[in-house]
Amino acid sequence: MVFKYPELVATARDVEEAKQLIEAGADAIRIGHQQYGLRVSGDFELNDIKKTVKYSHDRNKKVYIVTNAIFHNANVDKLPNYLDCLVDIEVDGIICGDPSIFPILTETNINLPIHWNPETLSTNYDTLAFWQSKGINRALLSNELGMDAVLEIKDRLTLPVEVQVHGMTCIFQSKRKLVTNYYNYINPTELIGVEELNDKKLYIKQIKESDSNYPIFEDCNGTHVMSNEDICMIEHLEPLIKGGVDSLRINGILNSREYNSKIVELYRKAINLCCDSTDGYHRNKGIFKHEIEKIQPAYRILDTGFYYKEQIY
Amino acid sequence: MSNLTVVKKPELLAPAGNLEKLKFAIHYGADAVYIGGKQFGLRSKAGNFTFEDMKEGVKFAEKYDAKIYVAANIIAHNENLDGAKEYFAKLYEIGIAAVIIADPALITACKEAAPNLDIHISTQASIANWRTIQFWKNEGIPRVVLAREVSVDEVRVMKEKVDIEIEAFIHGAMCISYSGRCVLSNHMTSRDANRGGCAQSCRWKYDLYEDGTDDSSNISEQADEAYTMSSKDLSMVEYLPNLIDLGVDSLKIEGRMKSIHYVATVVNVYRKVIDSYIENPHNFYMDQKWIDEIWKAAQRSLTTGFYYREPSENDQLFGPPDKIPKYDFAGLVLAYDKHSKIAHVQQRNSYKVGDEIEFFGPNFYQFKQTIQEMWDENGNSIDMARHPMMITQIKVDQPVSYLDMMRKNK
Repeated sequence: MVFKYPELVATARDVEEAKQLIEAGADAIRIGHQQYGLRVSGDFELNDIKKTVKYSHDRNKKVYIVTNAIFHNANVDKLPNYLDCLVDIEVDGIICGDPSIFPILTETNINLPIHWNPETLSTNYDTLAFWQSKGINRALLSNELGMDAVLEIKDRLTLPVEVQVHGMTCIFQSKRKLVTNYYNYINPTELIGVEELNDKKLYIKQIKESDSNYPIFEDCNGTHVMSNEDICMIEHLEPLIKGGVDSLRINGILNSREYNSKIVELYRKAINLCCDSTDGYHRNKGIFKHEIEKIQPAYRILDTGFYYKEQIY
Repeated sequence: MSNLTVVKKPELLAPAGNLEKLKFAIHYGADAVYIGGKQFGLRSKAGNFTFEDMKEGVKFAEKYDAKIYVAANIIAHNENLDGAKEYFAKLYEIGIAAVIIADPALITACKEAAPNLDIHISTQASIANWRTIQFWKNEGIPRVVLAREVSVDEVRVMKEKVDIEIEAFIHGAMCISYSGRCVLSNHMTSRDANRGGCAQSCRWKYDLYEDGTDDSSNISEQADEAYTMSSKDLSMVEYLPNLIDLGVDSLKIEGRMKSIHYVATVVNVYRKVIDSYIENPHNFYMDQKWIDEIWKAAQRSLTTGFYYREPSENDQLFGPPDKIPKYDFAGLVLAYDKHSKIAHVQQRNSYKVGDEIEFFGPNFYQFKQTIQEMWDENGNSIDMARHPMMITQIKVDQPVSYLDMMRKNK
């Protein structure tokens, strides 16, 4: 081994998918319930979390629970009880993004590792050092950062760092029901339910002729618009691994089980190869990419997100 | 309201994109004004203030016993952190009363460099529950600006649970997303919304499709109505007593990019509503002319946002825009001679003899008249004020004062 193996984290929609992804090579599974977490692939009730934890711990794998909703009074008041249950189940960490978590953990004397994931707000080392001083145990970086920024943050922090390496990203969240509202506007006589909406697999296009689309869906946290591209860093793992980034995440939301399993399998191979033999990785990375291209859905761009893209302001 | 309750007078907080707007906001009744500096602010297209402008603004504000806050509300990237400490130290030295910050990196910098400079947590941090407010209270933060997604019932609980100043938006344009949680601009235009580059992509027109990859399912085309995510503008003018009763400490107007006519008009109305209510809460009634006045500055239809219910399609902008009476800021009163009843008015948009115009000034002073006679600066009779910034002399029916404004129905 030349480099330390980073952890490979994957999202699951249900217990069955969690098992499949662990079999495919994931080191940790990220799951949760929309009542507490943002953009889960599927809702896990406590009982399902328990099953997933049991299965994972038996195989020496970890389970992290998403609790990074933008809380309002009503759901924040349910959080202490939920966290108590998660402690009992022995989950390996909670993924948070709202500062409400700190007074709650202090007051309830609950001790759970905190992975900090406020989505767009995790953009520089001083910000993360601030949250570290409040007790976070891992920093999940925003997807809107360049590779240089990611590596500089890793370099400057004493905190484990996680980045997303594959899949779609959220690019917009509103508390409003922006799809329901639109349907109600264009057809006021026929009201439509959220489940029915999401069954329709909705997406928006900026320009009709565009060959890509932005998925859009509603849940109890509001409306979410997702990127028109899937980040795909399978050919660019070396700087991340060399830079010591601790965890690499695959977001499988809105993708098929088969696709997600295959992606985890390919990243597992690529990561291991990159850590063991840089030359071997460089010889084979094109093949990994090609394997992904073969299963990539139409209308979904494969690119490298903001890792190598300049932004102006 | 029980008879025993003393209603606390909230602060009226107005935006100012430049020094001139700052002066108008304060002159028309704002208790405090928030501005942006040349760094760390989100409105890169607003004029923004040099340190010299800020000094002059602070000096002007002192005369009115008003405060100046500086928005330093970007979500910083590594390369933006340089110079933050020097910046906050300078703001404190200038006499800025508080800074509005969203990114904890800048909180750290500010606390270190200017420990006595108050920090207000920006709406960009999407504060929507009392526990998060408790967190900031524990950090020694004196004030939080609430997320626009919070209802009056939620504000009540926040006020009950945590002893902290609460600032809430009462008027202006709104993000339809949780502020800070939208990177549409970043993806569609490579402009970083959280560092001032927002291209307002939410308000663009889109097509909505059903069923994955089937191109025949363009719902927007079938309905002949584009998909869009554009919010009506917030206005709490008719419900302000409600927020005052809840003990909201600062009532905030949005719009550092807006004109002086907008700022003066909106501030004037809210000043009047707050003062009228505080003076006599029991006999307070909403005067229709205050509401009418708000519409003279409106740029979109209006809504109460999340305060009373979850916004529906009726709180969004679909289809052709509603007809809103449009007014031009025609001129600014520079001087008035009470003997001759002649006002010196600086032209801001053209006007002519025969036009019906409306003068207005602080304390909700206003009257309408027709321009009967008009002269240029040198006393030559003219029919029309054509040139921008030219000085005209107009015979006025009622007294006017320096910094009163003249507007015209378009």
